[in-house]
Amino acid sequence: MSGGPWGSLMAAAQAGDAAAYHRLLAELGFWLHRYYARRLPRAMIDDAVQDTLLAIHQKRHTYDPQRPFEPWLAAIARYKWIDRLRTLRAAATEALTDDIAQPGHEEAVTSAWSLDRLLGELKPAQSDAIRMVKLQGFSIEEAAARTGQSVSLVKVNIHRGLGRLAAIVRKRADAE
Amino acid sequence: MPSDPFIERLVADLRPVRRRSLGRDALILAALFGVEATLVVLLGLLRPDMAMAVAVPSFWWKAASLGVIAVIGVTVALVSFDPVASPRRGLRALLAVIAASLIVGQLIDACDVGCGSVAARLDWHSGLHCVAKMVALSVPAIFGLGVLMRRGAPTDPAGSALAVGIAAAAWGAFVFVLACPFDDPLYVAVWYTVGCGLATACARLVLPLLARW
Repeated sequence: MSGGPWGSLMAAAQAGDAAAYHRLLAELGFWLHRYYARRLPRAMIDDAVQDTLLAIHQKRHTYDPQRPFEPWLAAIARYKWIDRLRTLRAAATEALTDDIAQPGHEEAVTSAWSLDRLLGELKPAQSDAIRMVKLQGFSIEEAAARTGQSVSLVKVNIHRGLGRLAAIVRKRADAE
Repeated sequence: MPSDPFIERLVADLRPVRRRSLGRDALILAALFGVEATLVVLLGLLRPDMAMAVAVPSFWWKAASLGVIAVIGVTVALVSFDPVASPRRGLRALLAVIAASLIVGQLIDACDVGCGSVAARLDWHSGLHCVAKMVALSVPAIFGLGVLMRRGAPTDPAGSALAVGIAAAAWGAFVFVLACPFDDPLYVAVWYTVGCGLATACARLVLPLLARW
């Protein structure tokens, strides 16, 4: 075995050891929470963690105990991260109520230097549209008025920007 | 943080699993290929002039190119079903092999004395029949690789689906080499590219949806 402590726990889980599996999932839950806290808006973290734990459960047979566990875990976590970005892209951009939309609280909403850095790699018009509509809760019309873009351009910028984000994450994964 | 009840549910659902094995997957595919090729022979679909065809260089070019593309494609696809692996480098290698095959085909064609017009050499009526048969022969490979892709954990589903498509298309075309009486490099380059392109496009479009996890 060369998979480290988590690798050993997963190997035991593959053989049906419930206690080892319970311990492993609990520890992975903490790890995943930290992982997504730097990459997703706070409101999406818990769902992302559960979704990833479910994926780990369903795909546990693909882990080879002869190999390190962490890259396997990171690959699944990153896949689910990209999936979340796609979900964000497909989700209806509906206006939130005024008490939820809080301009100027960007840091608290994104809580993510990693996501923020990624947004910085997009065109300003795309990152502005994503920040306002997807992270801060503005309606499309409000974002259009604040950025000076047309409503349809805001939609296009969100769609293309999120697609570009997913592509950047995937390309980095390939480069690693 | 994941709630305890959620983790409890996953633990309650725990069953021993058989680990994914690249060798076992390859054996399953080899068996599937064996069954398909045997059926083609048993059903009497073997080209009647096979004894003469083996003396023609373009026959061997056709068979060798498709065989190599199929083997590399299947390997790239199977490896990419591991969450840690990416199919992108393998896909670039595949494209290089495909381009090299087409160039070799053109060289063989240039060495041959051309006979007839381009339209006559392409024989579009037979070409469309060949395309239909090639696509049909690639279906078992798309199905087999698709099942393995669903069971695996590809983290680049689009890339994996493309690798599956190229592999399955080359597989179907390779089996079809046993039945196809046309060895003209121009005919092969055009119609086999159309047939393989269609099979690849089908796999690329459908598999990411079916293998989503």
